[in-house]
Amino acid sequence: MGGEKLILDKYIELSRDIGGRASIEGDTVHIIVPREKLVEAASKLFNEYQCDFRVCVGTDERPLNGYFSITHIFTDNRNGLYVLLKTYIEPQDPKVPSIINAVPGADWCEMEARDLLGIEFTGRTPYRLVLPPEWPEGLHPLRKDVPYNYRPQIRGVSEKIPTTTETGVIPIGPYHPALHEPEYFELYVEGEKVVDVKYRGFHVHRGIEKLGETRMTYQQVNFLAERICGICGFEHSSCYALAVEKAAKLDVPERAQFIRSIVLEVERIHSHLLWLGVAFHVLGYDTGFMHVWRIRERVMYLAELLTGSRKTYGINLIGGVRKDINEEKKQKTLEVLRELEKEYKGLIEVALSVPQVRKRASGTGVLPREDALKLSVEGPTARASGIDKDARRDLPYAAYKYASFRVPVYTEGDNLARLLVRVDEVIESMAIIEQLLDKIPKGPILLEKYEIPEGRVGVQVVEAPRGGDVHFVITGHGKPYRWRVRAPTYSNIPALRVMLRDQPLADAPLTIASIDPCFSCTDRVLIVRENGGREWLRLTGGLKI
Amino acid sequence: MEKKLERIKRSIWVFHLNTGSCNACDIEILDALTPYHDAERFGVKLVGSPRHADVLLLTGPITLESLPKVINAIEATPRPRFIIALGSCGSGGGIWHDTYSTIGGVNSLVKILKERGIEVDGVYYVPGCPIRPEALLYAVALIRGLVEKKAKSMVATVE
Amino acid sequence: MSFVKKIIKPVEVLVVASKTGRVTIKYPFEEPWISPEFRGKIEIDPAKCIGCGACVNACPPNALEMIESEDKKTLRYFVGRCIFCWRCIDVCPVGAIKGTRNFELATNDPLDLYDYIVHTRVKCRECNRVTGETTRMLKYVLEKAPVTENYNNKCPDCRKKTFINALSMRRTGPVGEKT
Repeated sequence: MGGEKLILDKYIELSRDIGGRASIEGDTVHIIVPREKLVEAASKLFNEYQCDFRVCVGTDERPLNGYFSITHIFTDNRNGLYVLLKTYIEPQDPKVPSIINAVPGADWCEMEARDLLGIEFTGRTPYRLVLPPEWPEGLHPLRKDVPYNYRPQIRGVSEKIPTTTETGVIPIGPYHPALHEPEYFELYVEGEKVVDVKYRGFHVHRGIEKLGETRMTYQQVNFLAERICGICGFEHSSCYALAVEKAAKLDVPERAQFIRSIVLEVERIHSHLLWLGVAFHVLGYDTGFMHVWRIRERVMYLAELLTGSRKTYGINLIGGVRKDINEEKKQKTLEVLRELEKEYKGLIEVALSVPQVRKRASGTGVLPREDALKLSVEGPTARASGIDKDARRDLPYAAYKYASFRVPVYTEGDNLARLLVRVDEVIESMAIIEQLLDKIPKGPILLEKYEIPEGRVGVQVVEAPRGGDVHFVITGHGKPYRWRVRAPTYSNIPALRVMLRDQPLADAPLTIASIDPCFSCTDRVLIVRENGGREWLRLTGGLKI
Repeated sequence: MEKKLERIKRSIWVFHLNTGSCNACDIEILDALTPYHDAERFGVKLVGSPRHADVLLLTGPITLESLPKVINAIEATPRPRFIIALGSCGSGGGIWHDTYSTIGGVNSLVKILKERGIEVDGVYYVPGCPIRPEALLYAVALIRGLVEKKAKSMVATVE
Repeated sequence: MSFVKKIIKPVEVLVVASKTGRVTIKYPFEEPWISPEFRGKIEIDPAKCIGCGACVNACPPNALEMIESEDKKTLRYFVGRCIFCWRCIDVCPVGAIKGTRNFELATNDPLDLYDYIVHTRVKCRECNRVTGETTRMLKYVLEKAPVTENYNNKCPDCRKKTFINALSMRRTGPVGEKT
């Protein structure tokens, strides 16, 4: 208890030095600073206190108190704390200093706030990120006075490939046999080596945050959050439910938290097996693809038995879950897991001994540790470069404090390391499910009567199969007032520029696939258009890496 | 439409067109090719270019950003061309049928295509969220005439 | 691993394949592999539905809609936009909605995807205007709540007038004086 008080005191001291105010609520530290001291505070948190930067959120609080606001969310992984750094902005002159010189990972989220809310950031070059290029200026969809279903009349144009004489240009996408989602990569090559990469994404921007604040009620947003991504949907819906329950301080039954953790681990197994199959297909080893997906079919049947649907499970509600696990289902689950483990271990031993797999995957797409720290990458991409980071162990949520598991970390940082991290995580997940099924307590699964007060803030980080996923909720009247989602691929894509440079062209599809990109999680936001009509997309905002 | 269907009935080559979906329907399309469901029994093959395809599998509510590229891809498909609209997003716009950034399903797309003079010879709807691989195989079997159509509209009046 | 083992190991996949055998299920000529919990299309029972609209409020993609015309109230279910979450089954007060395991819903005629249940709107006994309620809704309220039939069969405006009249008849003297 004494150690905890010491750490919290350090944060209160920091806020007093800067000239702001601090308050503590549960495991969240709120620090409010004036506009001019924002960069100093962010740089102190990132360097001295070793906090991890997650996302920045812009909010239109003009109906409540007449200001805009920007909140930067950090997490202190060693002590299990969330640190929220907030500042208020005048509505007539919405300018705020940018923190990307101190924290390079904040690049994309600042530009998203600029597109969707109209907040200008001083001290950096701006560009348009999320909205299509012909979107009219001055129309900011996330402001409270703009309706959610107003569609401007635009008929877009598709890309024109620029022709240069120095380097060759290879366009990949938006519709390409190697990709499952529409995204557009332009690779600039000299001979066989890739020298630069331009990316145009955000084809999947569907207006989720605005929809969650207008037409939906609290319980309906669970189903909306599940459809942000079809592969990692359940963790988005759990993260939203946990954030609202934290903001309203609800007492959720323990049995419901156990069921949530069990289904989260089932989702992790299915997602990693899917990725393994796709990676083998990209490498040219189609036998591995078919066998791994044959094994995965049993996991889909297990998910359908536990929740009611093969994907987009739809069992999360605020206050608990909708479906229970009885004795018969528990026995069936253990049986399926036992058979799965035997088949999986045998298959992986054979598949990883194939010489093409080993030779093509090792030594390519290297991400060194310092760059990974600077860009705040997440998930297996970080763990393969030597950073020991896992939200299930650092910021425990749901029922993970009752299970013991190992976090695999490799140091080489190449494609083979990222593959081995995921192979190890599947075995750990199976062990976690068996432990939790053993310890599950009896009791109700849903909280019947509760009240959600207005104006409270809730933040939650959940470890998705691809990394840490952040949901930020401000409660309102019957529906959320502000809801911000930051998926893990959002932080991982800027790291592609480092990984693809000076690599042979033939390794580019494997490198892009090895960060496990999930573009529908990323694109709730887009491209810069410079004068002259050429499309430039800067992955790191012009920073030299 | 029956005569046009005759021309492609032997084996149907499909192209997967993702217009901004969440990917659940897309991985179920890939799942239809794996050993448990095996779509290649019907002669269905996933091709890499719309120029080789007979049928386009459309997933997702069509977003404003991807609209011009979708029109290019549909125009590149040779006649006779059919569209199978998969899932709740494709058939009716889904949970985002009226947001600022989407058009809202395949019906609005067909209207826009008619304005530009591009004809589509037939549209099939497959509801589901996400669709089962068996539902996709049922739609392919329906096109080939192996099963009967089961969906029917019900109207009931209460006093 | 020794050199010979290195060559032999990848070929072991043939052993794996032959041990598993054929796993294909020849749908639609065989029964598909579905668990008993699968969520398919819903069916609304016209004999029980009271037309209250609780399911319309709870439906996230607005697949269930209430269309009001001059003398009818129609509940329309559009299967094309349904997300099969079964929230409507959770919130229906009379249990009129049933879930099935039906997923064979493909069609090329979009009109096949709509189901309609048509209710008639009641008229207020006092002022004879059409209210937003149906006959079955009034019967349901009568069973569950302690109201009289007289109160039940009026529109909200006439109820207000009757209540204020009754209240004012109990007071004697001009307004502002205590009784």
